[in-house]
Amino acid sequence: MNISPILLIEDEPSVTAFLRAALERRGYAVEDASSGAEGLEKLGDREYSGVISDIRMPGSVNGAEVHAWIQENRPELCTRIILISGDTANSETQLLLKRSGTPCIEKPFRVQQLLTVVEKTFGKP
Amino acid sequence: MPRATAKPSTRLARKRVKTPVSRPSLQAADELMELVVDAAHSRNLPAFLERFAQRATRMLDARWGGVMVFRGRETDLYQSGAEGIGLQASHQATLIRLGREARDETETRPVPFDRPFVGAGDSQKYGHIVDVTFVPITASDEEGLGCLCLIRGKGATSSDERNLLHALASHAALSLENFRRFSQLERSKRQWVEDIDAISDYIVVHDRSFRIVRTNGSLASHLGVPPAALVGDPMSSLRQIAETRTELPCPFCRDTQQAREEYIVASPERIFLISTSRTPGVSDDDTRTIHVLKDMTDRREAERRYRELFDSIQEGLFFATPDGRFLDVNDAMVRMLGYGSREELLRADVSTHLYPVAAERERFFSALAKRGVLRNYEETLRRKDGTLLHTLQNITVVRDASGKIIQIRGLMLDVTEQRTFQSQLQRERDFNQKILNTTQSMILVLDTAGLISYANRRAFESGYREDELIGHRLVDWVEAGGREDFEAALETTAHGHQVENLELRVRRSDTSMGHFSISLSPMRDEAGAVNSVVVVMTDITDAVLLQAKLAHSEKMATIGRLVSGVAHEVNNPLAAILGFTDLLLENPSIPANAREDLEIILHETQRTKDIVQDLLSFARQRPVQRELVHVNAVLRQTIKLRSYDFASHGVEVIEQFDEHLAHALGDGQQLQQVFLNILNNAYDAVQEAGQRGRITIRTSQQGSNIEVSITDNGTGVTDTERIFDPFFTTKQAAKGTGLGLSICYGIVRAHGGEILCRNNENEPGSTFVVRIPVATEAATGAAIGKEAGR
Repeated sequence: MNISPILLIEDEPSVTAFLRAALERRGYAVEDASSGAEGLEKLGDREYSGVISDIRMPGSVNGAEVHAWIQENRPELCTRIILISGDTANSETQLLLKRSGTPCIEKPFRVQQLLTVVEKTFGKP
Repeated sequence: MPRATAKPSTRLARKRVKTPVSRPSLQAADELMELVVDAAHSRNLPAFLERFAQRATRMLDARWGGVMVFRGRETDLYQSGAEGIGLQASHQATLIRLGREARDETETRPVPFDRPFVGAGDSQKYGHIVDVTFVPITASDEEGLGCLCLIRGKGATSSDERNLLHALASHAALSLENFRRFSQLERSKRQWVEDIDAISDYIVVHDRSFRIVRTNGSLASHLGVPPAALVGDPMSSLRQIAETRTELPCPFCRDTQQAREEYIVASPERIFLISTSRTPGVSDDDTRTIHVLKDMTDRREAERRYRELFDSIQEGLFFATPDGRFLDVNDAMVRMLGYGSREELLRADVSTHLYPVAAERERFFSALAKRGVLRNYEETLRRKDGTLLHTLQNITVVRDASGKIIQIRGLMLDVTEQRTFQSQLQRERDFNQKILNTTQSMILVLDTAGLISYANRRAFESGYREDELIGHRLVDWVEAGGREDFEAALETTAHGHQVENLELRVRRSDTSMGHFSISLSPMRDEAGAVNSVVVVMTDITDAVLLQAKLAHSEKMATIGRLVSGVAHEVNNPLAAILGFTDLLLENPSIPANAREDLEIILHETQRTKDIVQDLLSFARQRPVQRELVHVNAVLRQTIKLRSYDFASHGVEVIEQFDEHLAHALGDGQQLQQVFLNILNNAYDAVQEAGQRGRITIRTSQQGSNIEVSITDNGTGVTDTERIFDPFFTTKQAAKGTGLGLSICYGIVRAHGGEILCRNNENEPGSTFVVRIPVATEAATGAAIGKEAGR
């Protein structure tokens, strides 16, 4: 089986650990990046079956920019993005989600919530 | 023998004086000729008359003769010598009485005397009754001048004798008349000299050769000599009096060809007006030059002083014609009216230019004509350059005998500066008054005892009555707790120091308490002592409230930012905890007791998640849906949610809705959340109070806001300020997160409105007020369009 991994962009290690555990236990391959910049670097190097990205991240590149970069450079991945938010009330985020129809999961979330969205977006592993 | 005439009238007889009677005796003719010569040469009337009496006595061979001369009621008697009959006073009186009665005719009649005559030699011949001949002496104008009176020893007079008597009487009359004229002339001449001498002016008359002919007494006495002493002296001797600087020998002559000259000569000491008249005589020798020297020194001095005063006085003085043309003005007047010189002002007929308003000029003249005198008459005149001159005038008119005004005299003061100063003062006063009255602060003046002596208009506009303020102590209006501070501030001010922005609560006229900023300044008298205190009071109640609101919303915003940050940071670990707990629970190898513990972790994590969600709601992170909201409808729905609880616990809900309430623009669901929160709070409060609960809900439109007030009769709120703070709760722990009202606060603020809480004033319980802006017409239109397009 040669399935491309899911790219997980999340600055919080504990959250990354939980997400990786939950996804891998369901059979997904996961590769992670601890910042937006690192995520974009990896996106430029190889193929991924989908991208899960936190919205609010420190550093120069946040989730919205990752989304924008994918739209621009990897349009085939445009429908395979899931955003994770710490505060969905943010108006910038609201706008982004509304415009693109990109699915978003609000922290904190249950494992089942996550998997439902992932399967729906990326399909089963 | 004397000859009788046909008509022996006195007139004829007189005419014949120079013509002796037809047949005069030689002796009588000689006597008459001598009489004429005597009369012509005689200068002494009494002596002549005595001689006349003697002559008449002799000519008519009488024993005694006398001539009576009438001088008014008096009679002088001149009689022949002692060789005749000596007449005693009583005899004379009788004769005089009869002589005055005698008329035209020569009359000889017996005269009874009261005593006999005593003759010189033949006294025995005369008894009491004696024949006396009376011949009246009558002037040419029939006036009785006197009477010739003869006592003869004989009987009746012959006609010759009568003619002679008439002739004598005519001579006597002529002589008396001549003497009288002569003495009149003499008297008049003497009088004339006396008159001339009485003139205080110096008079000197000189002839062609400049020799003094006459001087009057004044001139002579000035030189210290009798007038006659100067006669014949050369005129040059009078140079000491005054000098005209001429080459002529007379110091007072200038041009001898002129018949009249008049000029003023000033010597070092005196000033003379010399009037000269020259009278050409019949011959050259008769030419007379008369100089009259009038000493003008005093008058000139008076004139000089008057002129000096006139010119130097600072008030304007003027003389003008009745129609207002200046005849003379002083320098001050010229200056006042702005002309270059007196001549310029007098030359120009400025009377019409002077009056900027022509009617004023008419008013002036009619007032002057009516009253004759104007005192402190105020008049605005125009200077040469057109600028206005405010004057105060005192005017009098001079009238002629018929009452017609012939001159106007006046004194004029320039009061422009005073007027300007006055009006400036008035303007300043008005300005200050305006400031005092239009300022939004109350300005009061207190005396040193703290009693109000002045209050500006604002104070009364605020509702205070004059009788509540003036004369009362300001401190009585200050809230009891602040009186000590106020008294201390007053004390400080009384010592000359300023106190600023003292914030005190002061009772308003409507008995409500207001928050005032009070500044006190000392006001000093001329000596520098503080005699009163100026108090400026500004009602800052609204400002204080606003400031409190601002501080509150600032605080809430800060809390909002804080919780927003906290919530976000908490969400990450929560996500991990929740996630790993889920993963652990999926693990079938986890023992049952551990699974139970994990369930607790899961539950508490969920609870934490809810709290964080609420915090985020309060922090306004949730956007407000913008749609038209019927507030009344939202309220009714909300009430319905709790109606079961209300009914079952006997809580009465009173709806007082304004059914014409405008729409609000907002999120109906969020607003419902707000109202529900408040209702829950009210329900809890009335439950806690333990009496029959009542919740009153009112809606109304207040300006551009919809106001919802929810009043309960519950326990009230311990701290109305902090009640919207997150986690501020007085409820039991289980009842909620302590964020309910904080979320309400966030929602209402997100709607652009405000929410506040206060305890009811005169009854238990509290009231929550929610204000939300009314939807603007544009917003309403847009929302309706959106609804229609759906």
